[in-house]
Amino acid sequence: MSYLDQRVPPKREDRHADTCLAYGGTICGAQKPGRVCALTAGADRAFTQGSICPLLPAMGIMSSLPDTVVLMHGAVGCGSCAHGNNGNVRAGHAARSGQPVDALWLSTALNEIDVVSGGDEKLARAIEEIEAAHHPKAIFVVSGCLPGIIGDDLDAVAARVQPKIAAKILPVHCEGFKSRFMATAYDVIYHALGRNLLPAPTKKQPREKTTINIMTVGSMGRVDELELERLVKELGLKANFFPVFSDPDSLPRAARAALSVSTCPTHDDYFLIHLKEKYGVPYIIRHMPIGIANTSRWLSDIGQHFGLGPQAAALAQAEEKELEKALDDFRPLFQGKRVFLSAGEYRSLATASLLRELGFEIAGIRSFHYDEFADVEIEKLRREGQDFSWSVANVQPFEEANLLKRIKPDLFLGHWHGNNNAARLGIPTQVIYNTGFGYIGYRGAYDLARRLDRKLKNTAFTDRLGRYAGLPYQKSWYRREPFSLIRSRA
Amino acid sequence: MSTAIERPRWTCALGGALAAAAALPRTVPIIHAGPGCAANFAWTQNGASGLQVGGPCAALAFPGTNLQENEVVFGGAERLDEEIEQTLKIMDGDLYFVLTGCVPEVIGDDVDSVVRKYAHRGVAITSASTAGFKGNSYFGYEEVLKTLFAKVLKTKPGRREKTVNVWGLPPMMDVFWKGNLAGVKDLLGLLGYRANVFFGPGASLEEIENAAGAELNIVLSDVYGLEAARLFKKIHGVDFISLPPPFGAAASDRFLKLAGRRLGLPARKISEIIKREGRRHYEFLEPLIDVYNDMEGQRYAIVIGDVNYGCAVADFLTDDLGWLADLVFVTDDLSDDERASLDKARSARARPRPEIIYESRAGAIAEKIDGRWRPSSTKYHNSRRPAFVAGSSLDRALAVSLGAPHLSLSFPVSNRAVLNRGYTGYDGGLRLMEDVISSAILMR
Repeated sequence: MSYLDQRVPPKREDRHADTCLAYGGTICGAQKPGRVCALTAGADRAFTQGSICPLLPAMGIMSSLPDTVVLMHGAVGCGSCAHGNNGNVRAGHAARSGQPVDALWLSTALNEIDVVSGGDEKLARAIEEIEAAHHPKAIFVVSGCLPGIIGDDLDAVAARVQPKIAAKILPVHCEGFKSRFMATAYDVIYHALGRNLLPAPTKKQPREKTTINIMTVGSMGRVDELELERLVKELGLKANFFPVFSDPDSLPRAARAALSVSTCPTHDDYFLIHLKEKYGVPYIIRHMPIGIANTSRWLSDIGQHFGLGPQAAALAQAEEKELEKALDDFRPLFQGKRVFLSAGEYRSLATASLLRELGFEIAGIRSFHYDEFADVEIEKLRREGQDFSWSVANVQPFEEANLLKRIKPDLFLGHWHGNNNAARLGIPTQVIYNTGFGYIGYRGAYDLARRLDRKLKNTAFTDRLGRYAGLPYQKSWYRREPFSLIRSRA
Repeated sequence: MSTAIERPRWTCALGGALAAAAALPRTVPIIHAGPGCAANFAWTQNGASGLQVGGPCAALAFPGTNLQENEVVFGGAERLDEEIEQTLKIMDGDLYFVLTGCVPEVIGDDVDSVVRKYAHRGVAITSASTAGFKGNSYFGYEEVLKTLFAKVLKTKPGRREKTVNVWGLPPMMDVFWKGNLAGVKDLLGLLGYRANVFFGPGASLEEIENAAGAELNIVLSDVYGLEAARLFKKIHGVDFISLPPPFGAAASDRFLKLAGRRLGLPARKISEIIKREGRRHYEFLEPLIDVYNDMEGQRYAIVIGDVNYGCAVADFLTDDLGWLADLVFVTDDLSDDERASLDKARSARARPRPEIIYESRAGAIAEKIDGRWRPSSTKYHNSRRPAFVAGSSLDRALAVSLGAPHLSLSFPVSNRAVLNRGYTGYDGGLRLMEDVISSAILMR
C-alpha cells in the first residue's frame, strides 16, 4: 500500500531510518567503513534552543497557492508565521502576475472550552463559512499541536463537510510534536496535494511528451524558476513548476508530464515515487541545481533521459564557459577566504560546492538534518580532499556561536533568521536563501557571486555590530567543547 | 461573528509573553512547549513588528524544551528540569523566565514544582502559564506583568520618592514600543518623576524589583494591563490611572494634566509645563504652515488598529491635525466587558468621538466603508475624499481600492523599519505628523 493511501503521512524518522538531528565533528569524520556517512539516528541534545517545526515550511508552501485558503486548526498562535511568509507571497504574486496579493489564512483559535470538549464542530463550521465568504478552489485544513493531543479528527470532519461545499478540502497533518524533522513538512504537503488534487489514474494515461515537472521548494523564487525554465527550454522541453505558487487547477498536469525532476532531493522523494507508481511518470532525484557543476549534472541527467545527452552537454559547456568568464571579475576578492555555512541539509552542502567553485575555502558547514539523500553531496565535498567542521543541528545557535568563535571565518552564509550569531560576532553575512534573489543555475551562481562581492567590499555594518552587539552566552560556554551537549539515544 | 479568525492581527499568549519576557532586562526566557513555537514567533515578528525580531536573546536562541511525542505520552517535566539545569550553565542572565505553551499545559506538566526546586536553590527564576489556547498575545503580555507583580517584585521595598510605574504597551505587538515608552518617560520627567517602564533599553531589574515603592501606576491603555494594575493594587497597594498612549500634543496635554493631578502637583505648575512644551512644539510645527495649508493637507481618515492604536491614532488625527477620523475600527478580539469599558472611557473624553466598530476581517471592514468613501461620477457628491487609511500593513489593499494613501502603524507592520521611533509625547507627535503627511504626499 502506498503511503498516500493512508490518511496520515509517516514522519521522516520512520520513513528514513538514517535521519539524524545531532552530530558534531568533521565531514570526513562522519565516514564509516562501507558507508558514505553513518550518524547516530536517535542522537539529540541535553540543552536545546528554539527550533522549527514542520508547520513553518508547510505554511510557506500552502500560503503561496492562488485561490486557496489556509485554515489553521489550533491555538491562535499556530500559523501566525504567515505574517512572515506574507512578504514572499506578495512578492511572488507580483513577480508572476504583476500584482501583490496578500495570503489568506484563518485560525479556529481553539480555547480552553474547545480543549475540553473538542474542536471538530468548530472546524466544520469554519470550513463552511470560508466556502461562503471566499469561494476558494481549495481549503488547506491544518492541524497544529492541540488537535493531535485532544483527538480531533481532521479527516472525518473533512469527509463530512466535503459534500456540502465546492472547494476541495485538504487535511494537512502538521502537529509539531510528532516529528523532530521539519523535512516532514514536505511529505505532509505532497500527501495533501496528491490525495486530493490529482485526477484518478486512467488506463491509458495522457502524456505531454516534452513537459517536465520541476519540483519547487518554498525557498525558490520566480527568478530561480525562470533560470531553470530557460535551460530546459534550450533542450526543447517545457517546465511545469510544482507545487509552489501553482494554481490548484493546474496541479493535475503533473500526472501527465514525461518526467519529474527534483531540485532538492530531500524535499521530493515522497511525491516523485507516488507520481511514478500511480501515473507512470519517471523521475530523477539526484542533484540540486545550485553550483556550476551541479547545474550541469542536473541538466545532463534530464538530457540523457530524453536522448538529448550531447545537446545537454554542449549547452552546459557553453553556459559554463560564458559564466567562468563573467566570474573573473570576482575571483581575486574571493580567493582563499574562509566561509562557514548553515542551512537546510541539501542547500548547505550544495551551496558549499558552489562557494568552492567561486574560490572560497570551506571552514565549516552546519546542516539542519542528515539523511541518505545528502550522501551524494557529501562525497562531492570530500572528493576535494580537505576536511572541515561539519555538524548537524536543527539551528541551535549556542553550538554555532561556540564554533564561530573558534573557526573565525571571513564570511558566513545562513538560513533565513540564521545569520544573527555571525553578524553579532562581526562576521559579514549573506542569507542563504530568500525568495526573490537568484541562487539557482548558472545565473544564480553569478547573482550570488555579485552579492558576495558587494558584501565583502564593505563590511562596515557587521564590523561595527561585532564591536557592540553581544551574544547571550556565558563566557565559560566558549571554553567548553561545542558538541558537549550532544548525547546518543539510539 | 465568524467561527474562525481571519488573518489574526496578533499571535498567541506564548508569543506575546515571549516578546515581553525577552524585553525584560538581563532576562532569559525558557520556552516549555512544542518544537516550532520559537521559530513561529520569529517569523511572525519578521512580517509584523517593523523588522524587529527577538531581543538580546534573539529569535531562535531562546532555550526551549521542543517537546516530542515521547513527552506527550510520558510528561515533559523531566525534560524541563534538564533544560533549566543546562540553561543555567550556558545562558547568561540575571532572571530566568519559564513560559509554557499548549503541549505541557494540556498534558498537565507540573511546571511549578520544577521551577520551585531551582528557586529554593537561590536561582532567580519564575514562570507564567501562557498556553496559546488560553488567550492571545495581549493576554500573554498581561500574564508576564502579573507574574512580575506577584512573584518578582519585593513586597515592601520602601517608598521610592518621585517614581511611577508605566505599562500597557506590549513589546512587539506595539511595534513602536521602545520609542513610545521613551516618550512617556520624557513626559513624566517634565513633571519631575522617574518612570520605571519594565521593558526595553530604559529598564533595570533593580528598578523592577523595587517597583512596589512607586507613588502611582500609569497604564497606557484602555484595556491592556488593567487587570495587572488591579492585581498590583491588591498586592502592593499602589493605585493606578489609565489612558491611551499619548500620541502628540493634545494627548500629552491630557496626560500631563491627569498624571500631574494624581501625583499632587499644583495645577498652576502643570499648566506652566504644558504651555512651555506647547510653545516648543509649535516652534517646530510653524514652518509647516504654508505648504500644509496650500496643499490642503486636511483629510478624512479611516483608522484601523488594536485598542491602543485605534484610539490613540484617531485622537491624534482629530485633535492635533484637525482631520475627520470618521471611521475607527478596533481589530482586537475583546470581551463584552472590555468593549463596554473602552466605549465608556472614550465617551468620557472631551470631544465627541466616532463610535468604535469592532471588526478585524478585511472583507468585512471593506463592506462597512460606504459609497461616500469611493469615487463617484455624481455631480454633487459630498464624499469622504480625500481619504487616508491609518492602519496595519494588512489594510493596504483597502487603501488601494479607495485610491487613498496609507500608513502602517498598528500590528502587523511589515513595510516599515522601526528602531527607536515612537509617537508618544510632544516630539512623538511631530514624528507622527512627519510620517502621516509624508505618506500622503509620496508622489509629490
